[in-house]
Order: sequence, then C-alpha cells, then structure tokens
Amino acid sequence: MEKLSHGEVINLLLQLATMLVMARVFAEIAQKFRQPAVVGELLAGIILGPTILGTFSPELFDYLFQSNASANLALDGIVQIAVILLLFIAGLEVELHLVYSQGKSAISISLLGLIVPFVLGFIFPYLFPSFFGFAEGERLLFSLFMGTAMSITALPVVVRILMDMNLFKTKMGMVIVASAMVNDIIGWLIFSVILSFMGKSGSLSLMSTIGITLLFTIFMLTIGKGLINKVLPWVNKKLAWPGGLLSLSMALCFLAAAFTEWLGIHAIFGAFLLGVAMGDSDHMSERAKEIIHQFINNIFAPLFFVSIGLKVNFFTNFSPLLVLVVLVISFAGKIVGSGFGALRSGYPVKEALAVGFGMNARGAMEIILGLIALEVGLVDEKLFVALVVMAIVTSMTSGPLMRWALKIKSLPRPNTRWK
Amino acid sequence: MYQKIALAIAFSPRMEALIAETKKLVDIFQSELILIHVGEKSAALEEKLSNILNERGLNLNRTKVLWKEGKPAKSILKTCEEENVDLLVMGALKKEGFLTYYIGSVARKVIRKANCSVLTLIDPKLDTTNFSKIVINGTQLDETPFVIQKGLEFGHAHEADVVHILNEIKLYGLQMATAGEGSEEDISLTRRKLVQDEIQYVQDILNKMDQKGLKINIKVTAGKWAVELSKFAQSIDADLLIMGDRRVHTFLDRLFPHDLEEILMELPCNLLIVK
Repeated sequence: MEKLSHGEVINLLLQLATMLVMARVFAEIAQKFRQPAVVGELLAGIILGPTILGTFSPELFDYLFQSNASANLALDGIVQIAVILLLFIAGLEVELHLVYSQGKSAISISLLGLIVPFVLGFIFPYLFPSFFGFAEGERLLFSLFMGTAMSITALPVVVRILMDMNLFKTKMGMVIVASAMVNDIIGWLIFSVILSFMGKSGSLSLMSTIGITLLFTIFMLTIGKGLINKVLPWVNKKLAWPGGLLSLSMALCFLAAAFTEWLGIHAIFGAFLLGVAMGDSDHMSERAKEIIHQFINNIFAPLFFVSIGLKVNFFTNFSPLLVLVVLVISFAGKIVGSGFGALRSGYPVKEALAVGFGMNARGAMEIILGLIALEVGLVDEKLFVALVVMAIVTSMTSGPLMRWALKIKSLPRPNTRWK
Repeated sequence: MYQKIALAIAFSPRMEALIAETKKLVDIFQSELILIHVGEKSAALEEKLSNILNERGLNLNRTKVLWKEGKPAKSILKTCEEENVDLLVMGALKKEGFLTYYIGSVARKVIRKANCSVLTLIDPKLDTTNFSKIVINGTQLDETPFVIQKGLEFGHAHEADVVHILNEIKLYGLQMATAGEGSEEDISLTRRKLVQDEIQYVQDILNKMDQKGLKINIKVTAGKWAVELSKFAQSIDADLLIMGDRRVHTFLDRLFPHDLEEILMELPCNLLIVK
C-alpha cells in the first residue's frame, strides 16, 4: 500500500488545521455580525483559496494547497467523506412519521414547491443554454439539473428560523418542516437519477435507472428500515453507548453509499436514504441524533465549506447578471409554488406567503448539489458561484421575509446554522 | 361521562371477563348497557349469555342484547351509531399476527373507524381490572386538551393512584443541533427551555381543569410520541393508556405505521381512545 511521505503528512495536517482554525475564526466573526456560521466558513475558504491567498500570496497558497499531489488527494478523500456524512445527517433529519401526520397539506405544499421551481429552473436553461454556461453534453440533463437545483429546500435552515420565531411547533411550522422533508427526498431522488447518467455514457437506460433508484428507495424505507429496527435495540443494549451506535451507523452509512455508487447511482444517495431509514427508526434516540449532528456539523461540515472556496475563484467567476437571473428564478419558483400549495391547503394569504418564504431557503444542500454537478462537469464555475450565492441569499432572507409576511418583530439572535 | 356503553361479544373464553369489566364501568358511570353480537342467534347462545348476565348481577332492565348479522366490524360500528353509544368496550389481542395486522382484525378495524370512544382490554379479568396507573397522551395535538380532560374524568371515576401525562419535544435532536451555535451556557439554556415549554403546555391545559385531587405527573420525552407513549406505558406497567384520534386511517397508514398505528401494532396495555 502506498503511503504518504513524511512531508506529505505534514502538509495534509497543516491543510486540515488551517481549514478548521480559519473556519472557526470566521464562523465566530460571522455570528458576531448576526450572520450564520456557514457564511464565515465559506468566507474562510475564499480567503484561503485562489480568490485571495492565491492572488496576493501565491507562494503560500502553493505551499499549502498545491505543492503535494498526494496530500491533496488525501484531502479530497476527506472532503468526499464530509459530503457523504452531510447527506447522511440530511437524511437523519427527515422524519417520515411527521410527514404522514401532516398529510395532504404537506404533500401539496412540497409538490407545488417542487414542481413550479423545477419547471422554471428547467425551461430557462433549456431555452438559453449558453447564457447559463452550458457548453457541451446533454442539454436535457443540464436543464433537469437546474430544475432540481431550484427546487431543493434546506431543512435545518427552516427549522432554525421557525425555532427563532417560535413557530416551530405551530401547525404552520410543522407543515413547513414536513414539506421540506418531502422536498428533500424527491429532490435527491431526481438528482441521483441525473447523476447516474453523467460520465457513464448511458450504461443504464433511463427507465432502468429510475427503476433501480425507486426500488432501492422503497427497499430502504421498508425492509431496510425493518432491519435497522431489529438491529438498533441490540446495539443500544449490548454495545457501548454512544460509541457502538456512532461507529456502526457510520459504517452502515459508508456501506449504503458504496452500494449505491456500485449500482451506478451516486454514493450520496445511499448515505441519504440510510439516514432517512435510520432517523425514522423507533430505536434511534434523539440524543444519539444530536451527537451525530454535532460531530458532523462541527468537524466535517467546516472542512467541506472551506474546501468550496479552495476549488473555485469566486472573484473571476462572479457574473452579476447570471447571479441575478438565478436569484430571480429561485425566488419566484419557490415562493409562488410553495405559497400556492399553502393557499390551496387553506392557509390565509399572509401565512401562505410566509410558507413560501420559509421554503425558499436553500442552504448547504444547494452547495453540495452544485459542487457535485461541478465535479462531474455538468455546470461551469460561473454557474456554480451563482448557485452558491443563491444558496446564501435565499437562506439569509428567508427568516426576515417570513417575519415581514407575518408582521413579527425581529428577534435578538436569529442565528442560523445552514446544514 | 358515558350514558350508553356497548360491549362487543363473540362467545370467546374471555367473554365472561369482558362482561364483568363492563359491568364495573356501567356501575361507575350509571350507564345503560348494550351487548352486541354479530353472528347467528341460537337458543343455546341466548341461554349461555343470559346465565352469565344473571351470574354477574347485571341490571337487566338497563341491558339490551342485540344480535346482528353481517361483517363483524361493520355491524358493530353501525350498531354503535344507531344506538348513539358513547363508549364501546372490546377485547383485543396484545399483538396480532403479521398478516392479521395488515388485513385488519375486527378489534383494530373498529378502533380505527369508530365514531365513539373505544376501550380495548387486552387482559380482561373476572374480578375486574384496577385502573390505578393511567397514562395520558399529552403531545401537542388539536384534541389534546379534550383528551386530558376526559382522561382525568376517567381517572377520577376509577380512583386512579397516579395519572402520567406524556408530552414530547418534537425533533429534539435536530432542534438541539441547529441551536448548537451558542456557548455551553446558551446550549443548556436552550435544552432547559425545550423541556420547560412542553411541561408548560400540559400545565396550561391542567390549570383550566378541575384536577379532582388526582396525583398527576407530567413527563417530557423526545422522539416519536406514539413510540415513547408505548415504551413508557410498558415500563411502568400501566393499566390504561388514554389517547385521542381524529384521523381517518387508510391502508397506507398500516404500511408505514405512525401515531395510533404504532400503538396498534403492539398494544402496550389496555387502551382507551376518547372521541
């Protein structure tokens, strides 16, 4: 087995330490300015990356992030794991029983909140592909991706906003949370199908890819969940707590990710679905969920968000017009779609509008989606930057807009962790 | 509290115990009793029933026996509606076989569809059950104040030793994780607030009610409320679990069990659904 040399190990450790320290410092600064931690973490990446450090001190940037191919490869592996783990906790957050209890209104809000932005996100890139940076490949896949990117909602952002506004436990709060959960499942399902077509020149037909994805989803939510329900009580009782649960859930997450990657669907989908199945288990305690969240949110998530800034030059790739168009499409699609869904479910206009604003937050999920699309060559760097900006703006405006719609005065500490 | 109580009978070995349990309820609430049997009427069965009723000392002037034909669950439900029954008593197995659960046993079908309150007894006794440890579902639902009120009335009528009201923190793990931005002090404050909010919710409901001198314990859990309710009832060996139910249940609910269905999969103890 090949090993990292003495110098490469030092380089890798320096990279990790710099990324974590900078992420923490800027996260704290961001919070001081009442901004979400992730803004700081992204900013830390931009400072450490080609945008700032690479421009003003190229030697230091090269020494840290460009001098060792092996160390960079190892770092890339860690970031890959971070993405898989982020999707795992995104799955863990989905509580199917809550979705069932919210019934029709959750389905209506989430479906309309998915379809309208999806259609808008699909049509414009399909009609004007070059404006959105589409160069070669399948225009259909590109447009489908844009549709999906517009329709995703970041559950944790929504949860935090609702908590801050004391709306979390209200009927509206629960329906927004449940809708965001449905949105997540369908969004990642569609994205996985799109991804399975990338880079494999269609080894599977469209129907068989959709078939396998759906089959795996149904398997995980029925038999998979049943198996987890049988194994977890044993794990909780016989093994060290939370050590046993932590290591085994991580192992299961990687196994599921490996399995979907082998199937030809992206690894993240396996991790996400395992998270859903595990989170819905009767024996997965809330305390255990909290520990897994904290562990991933505070170690792996900052590494991931800093790595975004390392990959792309945010200055040279910033296209104001593109950013504006992406913003307009994303706002219009989500607010009209989800808002109309809420209106149909009997919510008064103001509350329906608030639901639309709430569902508009894209958060970290959008950034993950964009990065994977960038890596497989589906989008270019300009569009990626526009998607990141859109994720930030939608998440930052979601809370204030909801307050405005409901005429609630600003609260002292509207911090939001965007995972 | 209950003017008309009905008992569904099936001439099973547990029938006499069920009649004894129902008589106790009829005596406590001064109610009329309707016995419903779905199946053929025969002289032998009539005699058997009449002997038990006499033996158990039921007031026959206030007891009516109805013999119905057709599908058991449907006939029982229809009779309850026609007779304006307030409370239906039934025997049920603690756990149904895999297939029976999905196809639906008579008892579970009735629980899912009844318009009146339903008391399901999993272990009826000839010398009757003492409902001394009662658990009430206090999770934040539209019907919860009503459920708590009815639960307290039932507990008082049965002179319960203790009434536990369970409320749960919704998505506790996620709430704590998203709140995990502040200092250690902020976090423990958030944690305390989440628990306090749930206690307060139940306390506010209780404050508006006559607690009838009952010993009440408010307990806060985290996780799926139905699962927690069931676990808690089992852990304290509760005599009765009281909850409400305002939903129409479909087959899909059985395929992906939640809320009431989660309880019906394996009844933790006797169950009273108040409506």
